[in-house]
Amino acid sequence: MPPLLRVEGLKVYFHMPRGLVRAVDEVSIYLNKGEIIGIAGESGSGKSTLALGIMRLIMPPGFIEGGNIYFEDTEVLHLPEKVFNSEYRWKRIAMVFQGSMNGFTPVYKIRDQIKEVLEVHGYGGDPDQRVNELMKMVNLDPSIADRYPHELSGGQKQRAFIAMALALNPRVLIADEPTTALDVITQTHIINLLKQLRKELGISIIFITHDIALMSMITDRMYIMYAGRIVEHADAADIVRKPKHPYTKLLMEAVPDPSKEYIKGIPGFMPDLARLPPGCRFQTRCPFVMDICKREEPRLKRVENSEVACWLYG
Amino acid sequence: MSLGDTVIETKDLKVYFTKGGLLSKKSVVKAVDNVSIKIRRGEVLGLVGESGSGKTTLGRTTIGLQVPTEGQVIYYDSKGFSHVINPRNITKDIRRKLQMIYQDPYSSIDPYMKVYDALRQPLYYAGVRDRAEIEEIIHKAFDDVGLPYDLLGNYVFQLSGGQRQRLAIARALMMDPDYLVADEPVTMLDASLKGLIVEDLKKINQSRGLSILFITHELPVAKVIAHRIAIMYLGKIIELGPTKRIVENPLHPYTQALLQAYPRLEPEARDKLFKVNVRELELVWPKSGCRFHPRCPFVMKRCETEEPPLKEVEPGHYVACWLY
Repeated sequence: MPPLLRVEGLKVYFHMPRGLVRAVDEVSIYLNKGEIIGIAGESGSGKSTLALGIMRLIMPPGFIEGGNIYFEDTEVLHLPEKVFNSEYRWKRIAMVFQGSMNGFTPVYKIRDQIKEVLEVHGYGGDPDQRVNELMKMVNLDPSIADRYPHELSGGQKQRAFIAMALALNPRVLIADEPTTALDVITQTHIINLLKQLRKELGISIIFITHDIALMSMITDRMYIMYAGRIVEHADAADIVRKPKHPYTKLLMEAVPDPSKEYIKGIPGFMPDLARLPPGCRFQTRCPFVMDICKREEPRLKRVENSEVACWLYG
Repeated sequence: MSLGDTVIETKDLKVYFTKGGLLSKKSVVKAVDNVSIKIRRGEVLGLVGESGSGKTTLGRTTIGLQVPTEGQVIYYDSKGFSHVINPRNITKDIRRKLQMIYQDPYSSIDPYMKVYDALRQPLYYAGVRDRAEIEEIIHKAFDDVGLPYDLLGNYVFQLSGGQRQRLAIARALMMDPDYLVADEPVTMLDASLKGLIVEDLKKINQSRGLSILFITHELPVAKVIAHRIAIMYLGKIIELGPTKRIVENPLHPYTQALLQAYPRLEPEARDKLFKVNVRELELVWPKSGCRFHPRCPFVMKRCETEEPPLKEVEPGHYVACWLY
């Protein structure tokens, strides 16, 4: 069975005063039906840009330089904007944005804001009933829809936003740092909700976070992103048990753990995406850097059960 | 490391805010409610709680940025004198000794200032006018946080997030403080930087014997730096004890849930739901009894009516819960 969503060689660049920033550079990922995949990386690695690219929401000075996105068998990246907007965006692929719990306007009730989404996209049924259904789907009492955003806690707002994303029954949900602003207890409740939605609705989820530990607890497969490129891709279990790329290893060591006496960091910082050095993008921070790393950029290749872009693996 | 005598003490500290009043009903938010803690010289006290628990307000009040509604904050200087800290009558000399670093290094320092000026200005206001002396203090602070001197000529916006946070730390250290409030200093930073900044602060604590109130919502982060941990919930300290005991033997159901809910590298978990027996926070303020009772899995009749006091359960380990 072909994947539900397939991104191939996507390039999202930005024209900046300091030069061309290659925020997402030839990234390929796929998502199977009913799967939860994760995209992990630190800020500036391009993971949010990748998500916005899939939604075709890149605004100038950003632009899509190349690549293809297939939804089932249809190429959607080059569809006319009008068609994409009426057929795909929010209808088949919806997104919970980073910080979206603050994405509600404070002056309207939650119900009216969700109803607006339904109206704009031409929902046929009874909108009020749909809002109630959606609220129940995210384990909120329907009466909460009649409140204003400021009357909700952070977790409730996040649930309400997820409800809004689910309004038109999308097949793919992109969740960009959906729990970053929440406390840990609320975070676990939201993660449980996403797992429950996958089970009950069969929805496929792209989960984006900088927290690799959290990601390991929810995703089936993980992509590790660094400076605009995927550097490692494998089943979550394989990544956690046998990380291959030095960056993945360091990311895992940086996870704060109640049983550890220290937290490790990764010294150095990401290269300027407008002035990339020749060779591997991680060379400036890599503890195992070799001569070849400074000359040629490694490509993703299969090593055991993983795909990894690193010269350590030949 | 041996810890000295008390440097900062709060006595039955209360900070209330009134909200509403014009169009809506007036209500009182008890951001800090009857908090009595002592921070010793050279100690790092981890203050852990979720957003809205009052930890930042408590921190701000201890350095005289917020007027207490009731109760007192007392600062004991190195000569043995005690000073009541209140923004209404705090002196410049005492201000210098109590410093703070903020959560967001992108908004706490003017991005269009040169790094050198961002450091020179507070020194100027503190009365240091001699060029050579300014230079010496700045260089020493830069050494402490491991920043290279050639950054001094850059603009603040040219620095990375980690460098900015180090600059914020350097700026606080220049004043040679006795006590530092670090308000979520690593929350905005990437996983790769978090560990480095925490290690920096740990080193500074050890080399300078500086007392730090380390505010965070991440218990595992507090664990690696703090000597003692205080757990705050809706304005109250609900558990306080040596770090090791809090992590190994958490007593309050809220502390237990905080530890349980923290994500670990655990791909086996992906098919299961998280086990959390604590309910999600709702915006309901319990009218009486224990503040945690609407979310508590072990709630009893008594919890709904009576508020539990902070009680010593084992040496130095206090908890406010009727289970004990």
